[in-house]
Amino acid sequence: MKRMRGWLLGLVLSPLLGALAQPVPNTPPPDFPPQVFEIARELRCPVCQGESAAESNAGIALEMRRIIAEQLEQGKSPAEIKQFFVERYGDWILFEPPARGLTLWVWLSPLLGLLLLGYGLWRHQARAKALAQAQAEGVSEEEIARLEAELDRR
Amino acid sequence: MLRFWPVWVLLLGGLLFWGLQRPDPEVLGSVRVGRPAPTFSLPVLAPYRDRFGPELGVGETLEKPVFLNIWASWCIPCRTEAPLLESFYRRYQDQVLVLGVNVQDREEEALKFIAQYGLSFPSVYDARGRIGIEYGYTGVPETFIISKERKVLARHIGELSESKLQEYLQQVRP
Repeated sequence: MKRMRGWLLGLVLSPLLGALAQPVPNTPPPDFPPQVFEIARELRCPVCQGESAAESNAGIALEMRRIIAEQLEQGKSPAEIKQFFVERYGDWILFEPPARGLTLWVWLSPLLGLLLLGYGLWRHQARAKALAQAQAEGVSEEEIARLEAELDRR
Repeated sequence: MLRFWPVWVLLLGGLLFWGLQRPDPEVLGSVRVGRPAPTFSLPVLAPYRDRFGPELGVGETLEKPVFLNIWASWCIPCRTEAPLLESFYRRYQDQVLVLGVNVQDREEEALKFIAQYGLSFPSVYDARGRIGIEYGYTGVPETFIISKERKVLARHIGELSESKLQEYLQQVRP
């Protein structure tokens, strides 16, 4: 019985101990506050391929995080900090392009695609319906009566 | 929809043509181009202190145009570019200032690099690459062409060539 109790206790505790042993995902290194990484995540690392300034270990990304930390200490808002980088790199530095100018098309294209698809489907349906109606109009009264009689018999 | 295929072909062809019109990939646009170059002053690396003083950079007023070259000793294209920049500087130092900014590097490695290539154009030390960020750099080597009026005329990504240097020289000449 004692052995059984030990097994049960182990069964209950093992997931808890496992969870404690796992590193907490995306926990920033202790040198910068989490807000630095939140802002850096929205900025592109200029020397990397598809990595944000929060994920990259490149020297420039580290310096960007330092700049963010310094500006936060100075009391600047996240929008002001992002603007600081936009003034130096352009909108390209933002992972999420602002919805204006050429980038507006990037935002509008999925909607435009859906509208075109909807229009295509509607046209297809309308044509199929018109074709069915045209075919139905060409059937004589006699044939319809014969078909109905056939259906009734079944 | 397929009835309009010539329109689609024209549209896609136009898009492809527009994409192919992109200028030289080494001359990428920069928000800094056409605007005043950010001013800065950084410590001059030891071999140049006697001639250029303890600090050098881009001041409010410039004596001559500046070719601001951002480099690092670990960067391979910088190694092939260094002799070219050196010979260019020797020929045209009366017309332009070639100013190196050593970034993301260890000072002793930078000094070794300078000695190895016998570079006589001055370089300043920016270990953290902050001036590079100020100019919006995306890697090394990268060169900013600054007119005597302190306006950024061009940004060159990657290794320079003799023809490009001559082209930039023509741009900064009065």
